[in-house]
Amino acid sequence: MTYFSLLSVNGLVMGLIYALMAAGLTLVFSVLKVVNFGHGSLYMLGGYASYYAIGLLGVPPIAGVIVAMVALFLFGVVFERLVLAPMYSDKVERKDEYAIIVTFGLTILLTNLGLVVFGPFSKSPPAFLQGTLIAGPLILPYDRLIAAVIAVVILCGLAWFLARTSLGQALDAVSQSRDSAAVIGINPKRMYTIAFGLGSALAGGAGALIAPIFALSPNMGELPGVQAFIIIVLGGMGSVGGSIIGGILLGIVQALGVGFLPDPNRALAYTQAFGALLLILVLLVRPTGLFGRAHMRLE
Amino acid sequence: MAFRRSHGLQALLLVVALAAPLVAGPYWVHVGALAWYYALLAASWALLAGYAGQFSFAHIAFAALGGYGSALLTLRLGLPFALSVLLTVILAIVLGALMGALVLRLSGPYLALFTLAIAEIFRLMLVAEEEVTRGSLGLEVPGLFSGDSDVPYYYLGLGLVLLALLGMNGLLMTRVGLFLRAIREDEHAAQASGVNTTLHKIIVFVTTAGIAALAGIYYGHFIGILSPNMVIIPEMGLVIAMAVIGGIESLPGAVVGAVVVYALSEILREYGEWRFVLLGLALIIVQRFAQNGLFSVVERYLDRRVAPAGKSPAGVESAPNMEGEYEPS
Amino acid sequence: MNPPEAPYFAARALHRHFGGIIAVEEFSADLRRGEIVGLIGPNGSGKTTTINLVAGALRPDNGSITLDGRDIVGMPAYAFARAGVGRTFQVPRLFKRMTVIENLIVPALTDTRTSRRQAEARAREILAFVRFEHLADAYARTLSGGQQKLLELGRALMLRPSLLLLDEPFAGVHPRLLDQIVEHIRTLSAQGYTIVLVDHNLDAVSSVVRRTLVMARGRKIADGPSEEVLRDPAVIHAYTGTRKAMEPH
Repeated sequence: MTYFSLLSVNGLVMGLIYALMAAGLTLVFSVLKVVNFGHGSLYMLGGYASYYAIGLLGVPPIAGVIVAMVALFLFGVVFERLVLAPMYSDKVERKDEYAIIVTFGLTILLTNLGLVVFGPFSKSPPAFLQGTLIAGPLILPYDRLIAAVIAVVILCGLAWFLARTSLGQALDAVSQSRDSAAVIGINPKRMYTIAFGLGSALAGGAGALIAPIFALSPNMGELPGVQAFIIIVLGGMGSVGGSIIGGILLGIVQALGVGFLPDPNRALAYTQAFGALLLILVLLVRPTGLFGRAHMRLE
Repeated sequence: MAFRRSHGLQALLLVVALAAPLVAGPYWVHVGALAWYYALLAASWALLAGYAGQFSFAHIAFAALGGYGSALLTLRLGLPFALSVLLTVILAIVLGALMGALVLRLSGPYLALFTLAIAEIFRLMLVAEEEVTRGSLGLEVPGLFSGDSDVPYYYLGLGLVLLALLGMNGLLMTRVGLFLRAIREDEHAAQASGVNTTLHKIIVFVTTAGIAALAGIYYGHFIGILSPNMVIIPEMGLVIAMAVIGGIESLPGAVVGAVVVYALSEILREYGEWRFVLLGLALIIVQRFAQNGLFSVVERYLDRRVAPAGKSPAGVESAPNMEGEYEPS
Repeated sequence: MNPPEAPYFAARALHRHFGGIIAVEEFSADLRRGEIVGLIGPNGSGKTTTINLVAGALRPDNGSITLDGRDIVGMPAYAFARAGVGRTFQVPRLFKRMTVIENLIVPALTDTRTSRRQAEARAREILAFVRFEHLADAYARTLSGGQQKLLELGRALMLRPSLLLLDEPFAGVHPRLLDQIVEHIRTLSAQGYTIVLVDHNLDAVSSVVRRTLVMARGRKIADGPSEEVLRDPAVIHAYTGTRKAMEPH
């Protein structure tokens, strides 16, 4: 039973970080109606941003997370303005296709840029806090504990922001109907920019949180990227709350899967495949995800 | 179809392709032979995504299915080569039809995610089932031709590309091609006009799955070794990039895109990963400024007309070479 | 074939909900062959959903639809078209990067017995009808709004529809072109097409139809000769919330 709870706790930690990432992806999807296929690479960028902030600027490790989020917010804004903005006018003909291709190009660009600039060997930023928490049967490194706590804080902040602030509500309004939002004076294009920036920041934050736990490498974003897609399909493309729940669930289930399957090689491969399988099954049954609203085309 | 200057360009490129091994050294013949693998994938993917609007990330999985399927049937079950190829292609076609049926209700990013997941699962299966596939160690595949030269493979690959282009073009010139374009323009309107969108999407999946499988078989026998790494997402990304840069709505454009991108990646080999940084950048820039690919830009330039005598009474232009228009070429 | 007493087109108790909202409730209507009726109602009354149900674009939760003796509910959307239901959309859905001629021949070619030449010949007939011959090779997206509506009408006609559903053919159309569209619809009716006309322009609708159906909040609230229906207090109330008489101006 202890093994089970240990696995679950670790799964919970990972799940929270997945949830952070998925929330960012969901935000972008619900406001811009775009699945950011480059989301994983933003996560990677955030991890490295934090690493270099700590190493070069002497910033304390926890503040590295903030630096990563700010840096990725700015990056997201720039990318959105330069590359995504033309989609909103009629300059771009096949918008869905454009979005997929362009964000995919971002992945190729950033991952390989990472390989060149950061080098292929993994790097480890310093821990948030050395040591391990031992409380009865529970054994949890402080890094993971702090990562989980910070993730929870950010997610709560996000929820509060979306529900209580006027900017957050404006984002929600645009996600429901661009035209209606415009009628009441909200500038949809500004909301798109902000949403993409925020989504990128969330991904970057997740990357910064995971960095001391699992080390950085330029293709670290690949698997979490796929996980994020799985989560938003499970949780609903368009529902931030749903994607948070989905993230946590996936993290726990995956941890348990690796722990309980007998053959290690197959266990690893099939645990990863499990998420993908789940995605397929969900999409077959409900083409818009479990909690999602119907996919609205970007007009 | 009227002879256009762009057709002349295609003929020229064909002549160059036929003659290249006579002047190029063995390294470049090898590069060319490998480029044909990508060209087959890029062109068939262009049919799938560009004409039928099905943005599938599972295309490369069909290539792997072809390669592994044929190799395993020959190696493990001892079937003769031709039979293995035939059975594998049939399997690919059946699975392609199944895929087409499964993705019917999905569109846009949902379809992309679904097919991405399928490709990942297939890859993981190849890794996990080591006893059968030898997993990450790689499965050795015997060559097709005796001797060390890649030249026979080069011409085989070129032949396959030409056959595929002829086949796909033939399909597009029939009413099926018209229906595919209609589906791509507006699926609801196509249905309201009586087009059986289900059937036609499945036709495209079937056709392109078969071509991808053939490409995979060719690849296996040419390179001599198959590994699950042929199905990783960056490989699919490469195919997509080739098709998009060359021209997602132009089959010859996709072929040219594949050859150019692959050749460039070899020429720039010493720059390591910078090649792919460039690729990512090129992908974004081409999409942003030339959504229909670079080859169609070249074709349009060649086929441009002198200013028309005047607009028709309704004030509507009827120049057939406006931006974004496509015909089977 | 169709027994003489049975109506040519019959919708019975059509019902459709979306989530918690009932869009169409207990909708029933009969049409004789060659009849032309208007379907009006305030925004949100369920008109377009009804059209979508009859066209097969949506499946009803309950109810039946019979056309010329055939029960057509449950078939996929394209089969409705092949069974003879032609429709236009509120906002024209053309194949934008295909030419006018190509737009027209698509429906005809879905019948495998029709050759390309036959399809093009019929397309040219239709083009003559809408007076578009000079635009045959133009790309659909270069057409004006009104021309697009006419093209869409032409495309629906290519199927030789037993039932023609026109969803807001007059919306957003230049007045001169509007007269043309009205005239075309009158001609089609005279030729014997069975037509359901949905629009907000009561003027234009009443100039073409003699029988009007009215929907409000998902239900059919009136069905009869246009002049009576437009004076029906329930109809007036549905539109304006008052009892003031509503005259087409």
